[in-house]
Amino acid sequence: MSRYLFVIPPFFGHVSPTLSVGATLLARGHEVAWFGITPLKPEHIPAGGSYHVPDLTEYGEDIALMLRRQDDGPSVSGPEVLKLALEETYLPIARFMRKGLLDFLDAWQPDVVVNDCITFAGALCARLKGIPCVTTTPVPPDVMGNAEETAPKIAEWQQNLIRGLQEEFGIQEESLHIHSHRLNMVFTSRTFAGLDPAPPHMEFVGPVRGRPNEVLFDWERLRQAKGPKIFVSLGTLLVDIRKAFFSKLVEAFADEPLTIIAATDPAALESWPENFIVQGFVPQAALMPHMDLVICHGGFNTVNDTFVNGLPMLITPIAYDHFHTAKLIERAGCGISIRYKRLRINELRSAVYELLENPVYREAAVRIQTTFREAGGNDRAVELLETFAREPEYAS
Amino acid sequence: MDAAVTRLTYQEIFDLLKQFITDVIGEEFVEEMDIEPQSSFTKDLEMDSIEIVSFSEKIKAHFGKEIDFTGWLSGMDLDQLINLNLDQIIRYIEECQS
Repeated sequence: MSRYLFVIPPFFGHVSPTLSVGATLLARGHEVAWFGITPLKPEHIPAGGSYHVPDLTEYGEDIALMLRRQDDGPSVSGPEVLKLALEETYLPIARFMRKGLLDFLDAWQPDVVVNDCITFAGALCARLKGIPCVTTTPVPPDVMGNAEETAPKIAEWQQNLIRGLQEEFGIQEESLHIHSHRLNMVFTSRTFAGLDPAPPHMEFVGPVRGRPNEVLFDWERLRQAKGPKIFVSLGTLLVDIRKAFFSKLVEAFADEPLTIIAATDPAALESWPENFIVQGFVPQAALMPHMDLVICHGGFNTVNDTFVNGLPMLITPIAYDHFHTAKLIERAGCGISIRYKRLRINELRSAVYELLENPVYREAAVRIQTTFREAGGNDRAVELLETFAREPEYAS
Repeated sequence: MDAAVTRLTYQEIFDLLKQFITDVIGEEFVEEMDIEPQSSFTKDLEMDSIEIVSFSEKIKAHFGKEIDFTGWLSGMDLDQLINLNLDQIIRYIEECQS
């Protein structure tokens, strides 16, 4: 049996798949811990696992500032988001973690460190301590594309920032070590990610699952609902634009012959049309098989839930990597993308009917569903981690 | 239009680019904006990378090979991209024409 330490950022979309994989590792008798910088609800931690936050008193204000800055993401431009992500988010998180993580590695002595792709301290501290490291990537890789050719100055800026961070950690190397070079597990399929060939250390394990969701839902109302059923979610972030987004949906679909299941706090609008079922937290995975279409901004857990069920998607990218995901969806043919900022009511309505009535989108979604199933999910992820723990030199 | 366009004035280039922007992002969104030479692509016009690519294609289709707009963009660093405005593009096109 081995000891695995997941090093995670304070963003639930990145944390969630590690909880699923960790639960399967625990079920197979391994020891599993998580290390992060903000509190996590105890019920999220799989039974038998533990979660550790170091003493961060000296960074208290900086952490609060970094978290608050994330609210600006949807309103700033693409190049500014790059700066916000690297300079004001990923690098600071690595600095907040460094000392506490080094101490924790000494104390807990994991056999393998599993660092999330934006949680650089995991890979860097593991390198300093000589512990084998695996990276988990919950989003489609290659967001930057071929930046070295298309935007050489931006690629250089990125590399210099990372080399600077490595120096702060005491790693004086030209090559970059924020991710594992031996095994990088990506929670989508190679086909969907459109990376062919992909680097040999990248393993596409598909979506992982296993976290129970006990939230109640009015299933009887859903059973009686008329017409095609459309699930709409904006994920856990993006609170500010909820009202505007759902107002547009109401304008487009009030009293249309279909039912909208909206995952949002009903207080977002004063009143809702009869064909809208609205609830703050929903049992998303259980609901999906009953749906005909999904509308979302491109948060990756909802994207995975959608294609696991072979459903077409209307994606309305807002910021961050949503645009990259939107491109992948259009390339795969399993959905239509309309940028949120340019969303017109009539276009929204016609896109939804096109997706519902033209079978090509659903057929493409079913093809992606097959690639997700074949990727192996939790079992494949755990098999890779167990092999890696036995022979990290030769893994992958 | 072919590459052998007659030399355009500053104002003519501005009007042409304004038309390209309208084609790319849609009239109703442009109506809400006040497009000026100082308008920045990312902050004021809120153009994303896909829209900037369509805009580049329109420039290419109009001016042909004499203007390597995409090549010019790819030489920029992040701050230059963030602050890129119409005036800079008009001046770049003027330079290429001379």
